[in-house]
Amino acid sequence: MREMVAFVLESAGYRVIEAEDGVQGLDRATATTVDLVITDQNMPNMDGLTLVRSLRELRDYKSVPILLLTTESSDSMKSQGRAAGATGWLVKPFDPATLLEVVQKVLR
Amino acid sequence: MKQDTMGSTDAKDAERAADLLVTVATTLNERLAVTTHELARSQDLLREASDELMTAFRGAADRIVAAQRGEAESGGEKATEYGLVLDHLYRAVQHLQSHDLVNQLIDAQKLRVGKMREKLEEALSLATPPVTQPHQAERWIERSRAMLDCIVAGIRQIDEDPREPRGDKHSAGSVDLF
Repeated sequence: MREMVAFVLESAGYRVIEAEDGVQGLDRATATTVDLVITDQNMPNMDGLTLVRSLRELRDYKSVPILLLTTESSDSMKSQGRAAGATGWLVKPFDPATLLEVVQKVLR
Repeated sequence: MKQDTMGSTDAKDAERAADLLVTVATTLNERLAVTTHELARSQDLLREASDELMTAFRGAADRIVAAQRGEAESGGEKATEYGLVLDHLYRAVQHLQSHDLVNQLIDAQKLRVGKMREKLEEALSLATPPVTQPHQAERWIERSRAMLDCIVAGIRQIDEDPREPRGDKHSAGSVDLF
């Protein structure tokens, strides 16, 4: 899944930094500030919501858009995402064109 | 004397019923063990196939993107053609994500089967200690009832499994911006 997202974004000209799970994602995000974070919810070691909360505690990530791309589609999960500080919630499988539209929108 | 014989007959019937329950639980547990193995094997095959497919896809896609950029920079005529190929690859992206969802469904099934097997094993463990007062039918009936309760509890917890994927076709691909 990560490779699919990376391919779509790179083909549109974005530079992508990949991470295997939430812990690695947090490490990479603190090592270098990025313009946008896209994370899954179900990941080993640290889930997406925990990653969002952890990132929002960092000064550099107070206003960086964070999108959750996941198979979870319940309203309660979306509410948790919103409360955690996520910018948006996308349900898999994603349509590449829609993903690029959303990315452009949140980066404006 | 007659009553004793009748009581003994009832106890024998109840013992046979308990034995039958053990046979059913054992057989079901063995079948579920095979299912567990097959699910794990399916997941391995799916993982291997999707890894290979993804590597090939990514290799081809990266080359197309690089070629399209090269053509666009040099004002070549093939940039549009490469764009069309990319459109096809984009369409493939949506379907290539299926393995992820199928994997999650298999995980959910493995969890269900695993929980059921745990309860069957628990039920079978109830059949192991010798029955006190085996000549009394009630003792065998109590044992059968305890085993059945255990099996029913296993079936109930399958339905209560919160880790089942909640995604459905209606919400797939949906976007919510907060």
